[in-house]
Amino acid sequence: MITAGLVEALTGIVGARHVRTAPAERLTYARDGLPTHRRVPAVVVLPGSRDELAAVVRLLAAHDVPFVPRGAGTGLSGGALADGAAVLLVLTRLNRILSLDPSNRVAVVEPGVVNARLSAAAAPHGLHYAPDPSSQTACTIGGNVAENAGGPHCLKYGVTAQHVLALEVVLADGRVVELGSPSGEPWGPDMVGLFVGSEGNFGIATRIAVRLLPQPRAVRTLLAAFASLRAAGEAVSAVIASGIVPAALEMMDQSCIRAVEDSVYAAGYPRDAAAVLLVELDGHSDDAVVAETETVHGLLSAHGAASIRVAADARERERLWQGRKKAFGAMGRLSRDLVVQDAVVPRSALPEVLEAIGRIAATYQLTVSNVFHAGDGNLHPNISFDARVPGLRTRVDAASTEIMEACVAAGGTITGEHGVGLDKLRYMPLIFDAESLAAMRAVRRVWDPEERVNPGKVVPVHACREWSGLRIADRGLRIEQQARSPAQSAIDNPQSAIAPRGAR
Amino acid sequence: MIDRGGSEALDTCVHCGFCLQACPTFLATGDEADSPRGRIDLMRALETGELAPDDPALRLHLDRCLGCRGCEPVCPSGVGYGRGIEAARAMLATRRRPPALARAALRALTSPGPSRIVYALARMLRATGIPRRLAGWGRFRFAMGMLAATRPTRNAKRGTRNTRAAASSAFRVPTSALLFRGCVMDGLFSHVHDATVRTLGVNGWAVGETPGQVCCGALHAHAGLREEARLLARANVAAFGEGDVPIVVNSAGCGAMLKEYGHLIGAAGFAARVRDVTELLTAGGGPRPGAPVDVQVAYDPPCHLLHAQRIADEPLRVLGAIPVLRIVSLPDAAQCCGSAGLFTLLQPAMSRAVLAPKLASLRTAAPQVVATGNPGCVMQLGAGLAASGLSAAVRHPVELLDESYGAAGYYA
Repeated sequence: MITAGLVEALTGIVGARHVRTAPAERLTYARDGLPTHRRVPAVVVLPGSRDELAAVVRLLAAHDVPFVPRGAGTGLSGGALADGAAVLLVLTRLNRILSLDPSNRVAVVEPGVVNARLSAAAAPHGLHYAPDPSSQTACTIGGNVAENAGGPHCLKYGVTAQHVLALEVVLADGRVVELGSPSGEPWGPDMVGLFVGSEGNFGIATRIAVRLLPQPRAVRTLLAAFASLRAAGEAVSAVIASGIVPAALEMMDQSCIRAVEDSVYAAGYPRDAAAVLLVELDGHSDDAVVAETETVHGLLSAHGAASIRVAADARERERLWQGRKKAFGAMGRLSRDLVVQDAVVPRSALPEVLEAIGRIAATYQLTVSNVFHAGDGNLHPNISFDARVPGLRTRVDAASTEIMEACVAAGGTITGEHGVGLDKLRYMPLIFDAESLAAMRAVRRVWDPEERVNPGKVVPVHACREWSGLRIADRGLRIEQQARSPAQSAIDNPQSAIAPRGAR
Repeated sequence: MIDRGGSEALDTCVHCGFCLQACPTFLATGDEADSPRGRIDLMRALETGELAPDDPALRLHLDRCLGCRGCEPVCPSGVGYGRGIEAARAMLATRRRPPALARAALRALTSPGPSRIVYALARMLRATGIPRRLAGWGRFRFAMGMLAATRPTRNAKRGTRNTRAAASSAFRVPTSALLFRGCVMDGLFSHVHDATVRTLGVNGWAVGETPGQVCCGALHAHAGLREEARLLARANVAAFGEGDVPIVVNSAGCGAMLKEYGHLIGAAGFAARVRDVTELLTAGGGPRPGAPVDVQVAYDPPCHLLHAQRIADEPLRVLGAIPVLRIVSLPDAAQCCGSAGLFTLLQPAMSRAVLAPKLASLRTAAPQVVATGNPGCVMQLGAGLAASGLSAAVRHPVELLDESYGAAGYYA
């Protein structure tokens, strides 16, 4: 129970300025980067140090009050929302880079450090932090750890999990534990690997040791325009099949291209193209990168690229990337409301799935823009709509579900990098049976027996990813038939899937 | 269509959060309610009636917005934040008058009668040198530092004193630009007006005077006093009359406001004539190079030049016309200094918190001069530097160009 006494005690720990109880203030924390979900937290607390945070968590444990950690609130699955029974712990003030060791290429940061600021701090040493989610100018490393964030360059360099060496974590009861080691693999199970992607269900990372990588010496970036999505999708498969591993391989469709070109991030993408591919090749030898660039250039041409442009310098490359990375934010130009989906399909299925998404958009008469990590088949269909139009929201939800079902049917899964959060709870039964979900819950209870950290949200995203391929391939139609009914009921009544703790 | 008074400019926000790190107040507190995205939530709730205009928390966080518009150039969806916050403030002002301090300051600084006396007294006080000695932290001492910062630098070229009568007669060519004098600029920065007229003259512009002009109304609009701002705007439009002669401004805040007259009172034609002095100086490949000035300069772009008017390169090109002068770059130079019109008086704690990182980077870069093209920024930075014991002077870029031109003998 959240009582006046508890609020007073919280104030005693962090100071009155850093406890927010006014309705107006709590309202500003009601949504994250996926604004279709809205929950107003009971209290917002902004601790200023690890010790304050731990003291707050201990206090909440003593009062048996659930809590939700939040970084910059740029997440795209409603994962950092707290309802009226929970306290929201905002970690933006824990924003110090504690150490940056260029010779060992390790940085230790607090969770509120902004992703791009870490790379900026490492740049004078010729280093960078590789995972680069599109929101990297705003999102925090703590949030990246919670969601196991990806980004365009994760195609070659791996997602967040591959870059976190060690963690200091505040557990649900306020104990502080250390996981992993910055100097190498410790004995025993991979606890860091388990924690990364746990979506705030296992505790709060207070110190994060990350690997820094040297900036590549040679880089080439190509922009290829295609007359159809199918042709672009086939070109993606051809590039990957060639054995070359691009640093990044991204696709944007026409609707997305035009939104970006209308914005301050206009990058000179051809507005009349049905799709563009952004391909980056990098390495330590300029000759090798040039040779790979020629090969990729040839493959793109052979698959029908109408035009291919190679960025002339770092400045042009930066513009091409800024356009891609800000595309999501530019969607407000199409309509005032937006949902973004996140699903992974086998690369080879891209052309069919893209066409299926187009058909679904046409059926429901919705604007769907695609901007995504083509190289690893991680789709992000953006549905633009005006929530003020009666009945439209229902159509958007139905189309979202159909898109997700099409991805699962093609052998894919329900999230690549945005996490399950609140938004994808309803899709979990599409890919996991009850036994699997129970196992995930059991793992969660090892960390948080009372399920007080980020209650009502589910499971490590990387686990989904690894298991789903197997299960869908093994069971095919059977899974789909069995899973449909619980999924459907969850969709019909989303609250049933996010019932409060103890109600199940 | 319902007239939503500017709130419609917020409709394209999709809550992506890409504005957060561009917001000086969010960086100071880490609180979503002090961020553009959070404030847009508040403004939307105000418009829909979910929050009442007299909600104290709503007021606190909207009042704490600097209005620097640093969020606008990073917004992929082109949210018109500046128009939205002015609409919200106008809505709040209908329910509660702006604080007494704000009203007193507006009256003292912008109304023609009282302001003349205030500025005359301020200039007398400034001339005694006392404000410079008192400069420091705390409300009073910071204000003294602000006043001291308006003093013309001693080694500035004393060219022909640009009285209103002399300005137009100094040139035999027809007037090709009209000077906007403003209130604070005219009261405390007439030396910048002089430098503006002289340097433009060297570059082929004959700058004329316009009688009957008044304050631009920016401070009123920021305080939510939109009707007062409209009255001033109409007076200025009437004073400058028809025609297409450019109206030259050397205060970024005034320039941004004058360029908004289209939205404010439908005077798009007037707005299209408004040019910052650095825009005119750099038109046609200029400005003409002057004589060397051996000085290290940090350029600090005013928010209302960089974000509101999107003028980034022109001031640097003006400084680039001065041989030998070296420009040192500051990290996060694009961030607000915390001046923001009356903000420094009304929200001193937040204003100083926003200023602190700027002073820290100035301490490291250690320039001899900080150049910036807005009176509020000159005063804020000047007071901050003095309080921190840093010796750098703060000057308008055209003052430096003027010094260079004087040394080159262009005014002989």
